Amino acid sequence: MAFDMTMALFRPALKYAMEKNGHGKTLGLKMTGINRGEINLVFPYKEEVIGNPLTGVIHGGIIVSLLDTACGSAAMTVLNTPAVTPTIDLRLDYMHPAEPNKPIYVEAKVYRQTSNVIFCRGLAWQEDKENPIAHCVANFMKVDSKSINFSAIAITQLRRLMPWGQKSASSDQGAEK
Amino acid sequence: MSADINNHPLEDWQANVAAARQENSPQTVMEMIPYAAFIGAQAKIENDRLLYWLDKRASNIGNPSLPAIHGGVIGGFLELSAAIEIIYSLDIAAVPKVVDFSLDYLRAGRYKTIYAKCNVLRQGKKLVNVSATAWQDDEQTPIATARCHFLI
Repeated sequence: MAFDMTMALFRPALKYAMEKNGHGKTLGLKMTGINRGEINLVFPYKEEVIGNPLTGVIHGGIIVSLLDTACGSAAMTVLNTPAVTPTIDLRLDYMHPAEPNKPIYVEAKVYRQTSNVIFCRGLAWQEDKENPIAHCVANFMKVDSKSINFSAIAITQLRRLMPWGQKSASSDQGAEK
Repeated sequence: MSADINNHPLEDWQANVAAARQENSPQTVMEMIPYAAFIGAQAKIENDRLLYWLDKRASNIGNPSLPAIHGGVIGGFLELSAAIEIIYSLDIAAVPKVVDFSLDYLRAGRYKTIYAKCNVLRQGKKLVNVSATAWQDDEQTPIATARCHFLI
């Protein structure tokens, strides 16, 4: 396969934006694969996200977040210039509850795109991909505006790493209000 | 409260739900589910209906450059609200299990409080259908609507 310059630049930016910011950081997800129209990520089990305290099964909302992140990111990778891809809708089927204390693997693929819409499918599983915990379809809009400013995010984060940069609280304020 | 629950079986869960109803406190049920604290969801009774809300917090941001609330958080919040609606207002024994969830995004969730209301559209012997709507400024301009099925 020919070297894909856009992806080479986009990959670290997307990984950074999803893993080190906002809800992605709070979840602690890791993007393990970023390719054209295809995203893989892993989510470690956490007790904070339990939905059924009697069984320790995580809340379905986490699966929504994971699949929305994966499908939305997959949708972005088919664009030639980074831009947001607003979600039109998302439909999620829960095949069986996630087992506690085991990581969740997620795969999302773009299976069709038109001039306005990007169609994605996503799958979440634990030990056996053939026996998934959830399956989803999600559709995204192609929009013209570039409202994700990856370079601004990167510059802000880089500045924090510099010794003269502000030792800002904002990198840790995620857990608080 | 939730820490207390974790080590106790179903009877304690049911007793706590019954106590919450007695006190007219859906927030008590909310606090029994750890995920609610993870995103910061809250519940109260307003005009005889359950109202859910999610105050803004940095850990729920999806697109940091707008900033906008993560679409998954909005989905999770609506699914949680629908579950609380069932636990609090229907007479069921166990924790409902979600079967499927369908979400339409209507507007971007801006960095401010999100409100939600739910409607139980049908309760069968096994299955319950719940719809949930989320809004920010005005209930008439929702940011998302969801539909979910739960096994009870």
